[in-house]
Amino acid sequence: MKEAVIIDAVRSPGGRYKRGGLSATRSDNYGIQVLKGLLARFPGLDKTVIDDLIVGCAFPEGEQGMNLGKVLAVGAGLPENTSGLTVNRFCSSGVQSIADATAKINMGWSDAIIAGGCETMSHIPMGGSIFRPSPDWTFASMPNVYVSMGITAENVAMNYNISREDMDAFGVESNRRAHEAQKAGKFKDEIIPINAYKYKVKNGKRVREAVVFSEDDGIRWPVSMEEMAKLKSPFKAGGNCTAANSSQMTDGAAFALLMAADKAKQLGLKPMLKLSCYAVAGCKPEEMGIGPAYAIPKVLKMAGLTVKDIDVFEINEAFASQALYSIRFIGIEDRLKAGDINPNGGAIALGHPLGATGAKLTAQLAYEMKRRKAKRGIVSMCIGGGMGAAAIFEAVV
Amino acid sequence: MSFKIKKAAVLGAGVMGATIAAHLTNAGIECYLLDIVPFELTDADKKKGLTEKSPAWRNRFADNGLAGIVKAKPAAFFTKDNAPMVKTGNFEDHLNWLAEVDWVCEVVIENLKIKQELFAKVEKIVKPTCIVSTNTSGIPIADITAKFGKGLKERFLGTHFFNPPRYMKLLEIIPGAETKKEIVDFMTTFCEENLGKGVVICKDVPNFIGNRIGVFDIANGIRLMVEKKLAVEQMDAIIGKALGRPGTALFGTLDLVGLDTGAHVMKNLYEAVPKDESRDIFIPMDFMNKMLEQKWLGNKTKQGFYKKVKDAKGKSSKLMLDYNTMEYVPTSKPRIASVSNAKKKSDDGVAVTVKMMFAANDFAGDVVREYLCNNFIYAANRVPEICDNIVGIDNAMKWGYNHQLGPFETWDAVGVKEAVEVMKQLKKTVPKKIEEMLKKGCTSFYKVENGVKSYYDFESKGYVALEENPKIILLPSLKERQKVVASNKSATLVDIGAGVVCLEFHTKMNAIDDGMIEMLDKSCDIVLKDFSGMVVANHAAQFSAGANIFKVLLACQKGDWDVLEALVAALQNTNMRMKYLEKPVVTAPAGLALGGGCEIAMHGVRCIPCGETYMGLVEVGVGVIPAGGGTKELALRCTEGLPHGVVEAGLNLQPLYAKAFENIAMAKVATSAVEAKELGLIRKTETVCMNRDQQIWEAKQMVLGLAKNHKPGRQALIPVMGENFRGIAEAVLYNMRKGNFATEYDMHVAKKVAYVLSGGECAEGTYVTEQELLDLEREAFLSLCGESRTQDRIMSMLTTGKPLRN
Repeated sequence: MKEAVIIDAVRSPGGRYKRGGLSATRSDNYGIQVLKGLLARFPGLDKTVIDDLIVGCAFPEGEQGMNLGKVLAVGAGLPENTSGLTVNRFCSSGVQSIADATAKINMGWSDAIIAGGCETMSHIPMGGSIFRPSPDWTFASMPNVYVSMGITAENVAMNYNISREDMDAFGVESNRRAHEAQKAGKFKDEIIPINAYKYKVKNGKRVREAVVFSEDDGIRWPVSMEEMAKLKSPFKAGGNCTAANSSQMTDGAAFALLMAADKAKQLGLKPMLKLSCYAVAGCKPEEMGIGPAYAIPKVLKMAGLTVKDIDVFEINEAFASQALYSIRFIGIEDRLKAGDINPNGGAIALGHPLGATGAKLTAQLAYEMKRRKAKRGIVSMCIGGGMGAAAIFEAVV
Repeated sequence: MSFKIKKAAVLGAGVMGATIAAHLTNAGIECYLLDIVPFELTDADKKKGLTEKSPAWRNRFADNGLAGIVKAKPAAFFTKDNAPMVKTGNFEDHLNWLAEVDWVCEVVIENLKIKQELFAKVEKIVKPTCIVSTNTSGIPIADITAKFGKGLKERFLGTHFFNPPRYMKLLEIIPGAETKKEIVDFMTTFCEENLGKGVVICKDVPNFIGNRIGVFDIANGIRLMVEKKLAVEQMDAIIGKALGRPGTALFGTLDLVGLDTGAHVMKNLYEAVPKDESRDIFIPMDFMNKMLEQKWLGNKTKQGFYKKVKDAKGKSSKLMLDYNTMEYVPTSKPRIASVSNAKKKSDDGVAVTVKMMFAANDFAGDVVREYLCNNFIYAANRVPEICDNIVGIDNAMKWGYNHQLGPFETWDAVGVKEAVEVMKQLKKTVPKKIEEMLKKGCTSFYKVENGVKSYYDFESKGYVALEENPKIILLPSLKERQKVVASNKSATLVDIGAGVVCLEFHTKMNAIDDGMIEMLDKSCDIVLKDFSGMVVANHAAQFSAGANIFKVLLACQKGDWDVLEALVAALQNTNMRMKYLEKPVVTAPAGLALGGGCEIAMHGVRCIPCGETYMGLVEVGVGVIPAGGGTKELALRCTEGLPHGVVEAGLNLQPLYAKAFENIAMAKVATSAVEAKELGLIRKTETVCMNRDQQIWEAKQMVLGLAKNHKPGRQALIPVMGENFRGIAEAVLYNMRKGNFATEYDMHVAKKVAYVLSGGECAEGTYVTEQELLDLEREAFLSLCGESRTQDRIMSMLTTGKPLRN
């Protein structure tokens, strides 16, 4: 089996839903820019070696329809011989694509693949523009397939006694960490600034105005527990999951360049890390948030490791309730406090661009591992419909 | 010179100024809202990086004023979409904007010097056709205009709105000594027709009419309460609905207005009217001064005459002030025999209950007699001091204080002679002009002869006919003039001239019953034969509050399904008949148009709603679905106007039907006609009538216009989503149920709504006829009526007036 390595992983900044830096810009546009930004880091690279572009996308329709994989490949100036694939496993799509690329290289079917994810939440509604659940699956049979994510978060909070206070504190901490990281410039290396645009009215004329978008714009700081406590749940009457302890809806894209280790060596490219193991585990749709509690132990068992072997975790904060529950279930709450889990904040502060999230977290993990000179890290997230995914990454030295 | 108001400026962005600006936008007028620049930058401002040059700081007062009215309850705007029509600024940077406007309305603090200084600047900027007014409630116009040039004096007047300006009908117009008549006439018509106000022309005297008589009324009540040693709640029970007063009565109203404001007006008035024979009444009583000291000012300080408290369990209760001990004590809903007796007769009208209270032989009767006699005498003595005739005073109290009857109308209700006798017994000074009037054999202030209403004029000592506005069509007056074409117990068809008839409902709350449906159908026959067209409208507070659910419940309980089906079918058929009649039928809803009332309003060929129309398909509240054509019509409204072929080309109908489903399943009620358009209940192309009094006239003009070339349409084909819509609805409902936003039964009823909207057993993109949806409506309605939880909901609505969420 061939070894697959990740040469680099980069991301766009996360732009807030509807009001953020990417809210006017089409996702294919910034997806292409991230790809070009990644390729620009390797100016001497002969692009014909890139065999495939795998793009994770949770709602591949509208501007991100028509097989986004090939559309972005063409748009980014990849040669004709590069093929394109769009994959969808909802919130893990971005890391699923990296896992698929890894497996393909492992098998010797490709030498070099770019994999990642791209998503606009500002332009395409959750559930898609044309939502058509089956009328045959009435309440008695399987309505939970279409359950709203907010309800699943409330279910987890209620069924597993995750308190409002803990969730709010988790949300505050996520923002604090993200704020500190941003202030310290930690995200600079992984971010590809985007030439975005905004539509404005200037002197009575509608104009498209260019703006450079280079930093995550969803971080709320300072934020206090009192402010958090004031918010009401939009999902459930008297519920506890709020806009402030849930992930932000976000626009963004992230990609990694993967190669067979021998090919990288031949081209003189130095890998950062590799994906060594990947697992997806199913769970109840109405408690989809607990997915990581199954996926992380599953992938660790597969790899013959324990949590102690993992230096850094990026566990997606879809909701504080599910993230906290998963962390507690696995027994690593001490690692959260120690700053080994989501050390630079999570989706509550930085956003969750669905299909791009897995690749975005991979980019964040890659650079955090580099800073820490860490050996191993995990990217994990829950997945709508009732799943969890977890990937173990190892530093390549 | 002809005037037009397209753009206005309101100076002063306090609650009153901002809400006036909001109402101007309701009338389609763009508006500048200006206020002073704040006095100094606070530390918080500096922290935010604001400087003395920042517009955010300089415009703060106006910005805050606008922000406040966007959130105001009751809503100041017809729709929040109006907010951008108000542009904010400040007096230092933006007074030059006034050069563009047609009307400047000043609503700044009640300080003569400040007003004069502001107007001195305004005078230099406004164009020569700009009308300028002040909303002062207490400063004489003569003082404000003292230093004006002639030009401005001629275009200046007082325009005194009552709070809240959107809802209070009264607008006092106070011409200055040199104001041109054409300006007064123009503004009167403008404020009536465009702003929907009831205008009373006032003299430039302290507090004009409303607040002079109104403040006396309140002061009179307070004195009597203390003299008669009554508790606050007793006084409010007595001077309450039986006397035609609003539910908040005396002290609830004062709490609403604020005691500080009330006391301020009283003190000012005392100083300003040295010759007023009753001026001592305006001196605030000791306990009121104590309240002022303690800041017990009413709702704004959370306690006044009343105070709401919550006990440890969170249960709230109402306390009232014991003005002897200055402590709050529990209220007890006082039982007063005469008040209870009057309440039983409330259906007979306020004139009857006032008379009962005035004649009552218990302590409440004593209070009412003295209270009303004081009011009568005071009002009579104010003519011609504050108003040339009695009509202005009556209108001011009805429109500005929500009294159902003005003082002279109240006096008529209890009997002029009878009241004079009581006055004598009470040793009050009967005004000479009243004695004279009685001597002449005139025993009432108003009389109606041959449908012509006239009032007693103290000046000419005889009756003078009330000037009729041709744009005000009064159905009762036409009925007296033998203009009834057909009538039954529920509705009457009235000839309103020029070949147009008006169908008037007159059941309680205008609830729809079989008689009303019968009359609707019969009216269609008559119109077809003898008239050009029909208006469906009435003068009642509610156009129609919906079906008579008591009758529906009875039929359910008896299992009279055939009767029920026939009733529903009759409403559906009649609505469809109106809609497609060969003669135009224009509906003119105002006030509540709920459930079946909304359905009738939706089935005119056109609709002329009053701005204050509160429309909604609220049937799910009683466990049924709109089945008089409402569900069908909303499906049609949400999908009509689509270009041919777009559905076949794959147009996603989901958001359109989601809107219709939301409206019905959540029983949404529009808070204005404009919002009703947003909900799809009124077509976007309809015009909104601002003045309720002129609504029937406007609808009549519409009928006349249409009648010239009316071609009824044919039944529409409606594109539906079939089973796919039911799938969407179920997924949405599942989440709402899990989120505790809906009960099991809410879901059950909502699924029926979804079924009808889906078009039944068909594929997405199928076109169904209106009749097919009507059949589905009927089926769903009947199946729900057979369910016990629907019957429980109806029962709850009948007994508690509140929807049951079972």
